[in-house]
Amino acid sequence: MIIEVLYPEIANLYGDLYNAEYLARSCGAEIVNTKLTEKPRFISERVDLLYLGGTTERGQEIVRDALRPYVEDIKKRTAEGGVTLVTGNALEIFGEYIEEENGNRLEMLGLYPIRSERHMLNRYNALYLGELDGMRIVGFKGQFGHSYGDNGAGLFTTLRGAGLNPETKAEGIRDNNLMMTYLLGPLLVLNPPFTKYLLRLLGVQSPSLACEKTALEVYERRLRDFSEPGRNFVY
Amino acid sequence: MKLRFIIALFLAKLSKPILKLTGHKGTDFPGKLALKICPEFLRYVAKPRHIVCITGTNGKTTVTNMTVDVLERAGRRVLSNRAGSNINSGVSTALLNGVSLINRPKYDLAVLETDERSAKRIYPYLKPELIAITNLFRDSIMRNAHPQYIADFLSANIPAETTLVLNADDLISSRVAPENERVYFGIDRMPTDLTECPNRLSDIRICPVCSHELKYDYLRYHHIGKARCPACGFCAPDYDCAGTDVDIPAMRMTFREKDETHEYPLLSDSVFNVYNMVTVITLCRRLGLSHAEISKAMDGMEIVATRYGSEKVGNVTLTNQMAKGLNALASSRAFDYVSHRPGKKELFMMMSCMTDERHWSENTSWLYDCDFEFLASPDITHIIATGPRAIDYKLRLELAGVEPEKIECIEDAEKAAEALRFEPGSSIFMFYAADQLDYVFKVRSKIKTLAGKAAER
Repeated sequence: MIIEVLYPEIANLYGDLYNAEYLARSCGAEIVNTKLTEKPRFISERVDLLYLGGTTERGQEIVRDALRPYVEDIKKRTAEGGVTLVTGNALEIFGEYIEEENGNRLEMLGLYPIRSERHMLNRYNALYLGELDGMRIVGFKGQFGHSYGDNGAGLFTTLRGAGLNPETKAEGIRDNNLMMTYLLGPLLVLNPPFTKYLLRLLGVQSPSLACEKTALEVYERRLRDFSEPGRNFVY
Repeated sequence: MKLRFIIALFLAKLSKPILKLTGHKGTDFPGKLALKICPEFLRYVAKPRHIVCITGTNGKTTVTNMTVDVLERAGRRVLSNRAGSNINSGVSTALLNGVSLINRPKYDLAVLETDERSAKRIYPYLKPELIAITNLFRDSIMRNAHPQYIADFLSANIPAETTLVLNADDLISSRVAPENERVYFGIDRMPTDLTECPNRLSDIRICPVCSHELKYDYLRYHHIGKARCPACGFCAPDYDCAGTDVDIPAMRMTFREKDETHEYPLLSDSVFNVYNMVTVITLCRRLGLSHAEISKAMDGMEIVATRYGSEKVGNVTLTNQMAKGLNALASSRAFDYVSHRPGKKELFMMMSCMTDERHWSENTSWLYDCDFEFLASPDITHIIATGPRAIDYKLRLELAGVEPEKIECIEDAEKAAEALRFEPGSSIFMFYAADQLDYVFKVRSKIKTLAGKAAER
């Protein structure tokens, strides 16, 4: 199994890269790191999971420019059911544009009908509790704005916290096996059920996880904490 | 002068003896009160002729305290905020202490530690003569987002007339406010240097000009080193002042400034503290001290006790090593340092962010940027993780390769102290965040008592 990590030299904020590492350690997959100066492997070879993590604001533009020649390849991969995971603000790169505080619009790849707002002095930090196919999802958000537009049912259904924006329960974007979420950091380490779900999508029949027992203890504890009615969700 | 300011000055001054009488020393209350009454207090309060500010992700407290100590030992009167906070209320309290009731300055020089995110509320009013930036690394996800965000924030708020003292080995902070006059410091190649990053965290991996991957002539840790771009020729700035011939086993270095050199004994065997020392010397030279004065003042000086302290207790050596929760860099540096200490070690982790836990739940993502792998060592025999997120530490340690049977999770740190083994001849290292120092030192006292009892058995 091959996991291709796109642009780890710039898309690497908040421990995001551990997602690929955790998957690889759980199923023995090979990680291929693709640099900005290289042609992505998934264009020409079989890649089981394509992963892109969060980046800086300047990084979003650099990643956009790097991916622009491959928009049709991404569409094709998605239509064919290729598994892709995008976390943190990398989601915004696949939308139509990011609007800065001064009204300036940064055109993005335009793959999905969403637009993002960026407020550099108003950071949104929050906990997240959601659901996917009966699985509870826990996580964290830390972003300079939200996205708006049609994201369908999203990837996760929000139980507490903000979806794609505070007005919607639909969090992230799901298109076939392309999964994008604003949740950042080691999402897969924090969510063993979701990680197993992902491994099954990748063809692993009976997945087991690295340090599974302790990972489940951590998950159960966080789930309990995030389910407390008095727990404040916004930093 | 505004009436509001006069009232603020008077009432804030009046609050000081009241606080003293009620046993509330070292708080920022006077500054907070002054700002509440007069939000532009920092604009109107009289200031020393020379103001030096020190900021950066890590090392700013150490550099500030050392700079103040050196200057004072060299006979200067220095106003500082070392007893208070590094945000605008702490700076206001310090400046309030530095003026008379009729707003006349009592000091000629102020050395102030300033929080990076408070730049907007401090620098435009103070217009510092010098600002030293120790470094910029990834820090609290919530407050600091990422270091480029902080670099941009500083650039937007540093006055044009300020001279910057910058770490040339840090490509993020060295590029702050590019139009300002600047002095670069750094450390020349060391025998222990690398050319590839050994750490998980490296905050700048591509050329800021052309986005190609950077190469390092020498690399110390994370992104600290001499970087260059093989594609476009971009390279890190040259040093104006440098630590050179740094010899950690012999605990000495040479400080080079133009063609002049001077020998200094090292105050610490960690490279991180060598950077702190080089920053202090660079600053003190800018403030007119001779090498002889600086060297004499540094003699016998120690790193701030809240950051680091070590003593023999009973049959063990107890060391407190700040590791700053939410800050992968500080923790990685602490883990790296401790992993290289000789002998058997027990680790006591108090890094869960208690302040966060009180009002939401700590974002533990930073644990996965941090090099816990340094702790997977046969010399480390026992690790106790404490605090509300102890179980997250256990998972991270297991993923780093630490055998599960070495790890204990005990949320209550005082109870956890009782689980220490105090093996004769071993060392106990306490790692802790900055948000609960009183509690840390309470637990430390308990560990000392227990170590004494263990020695009697």
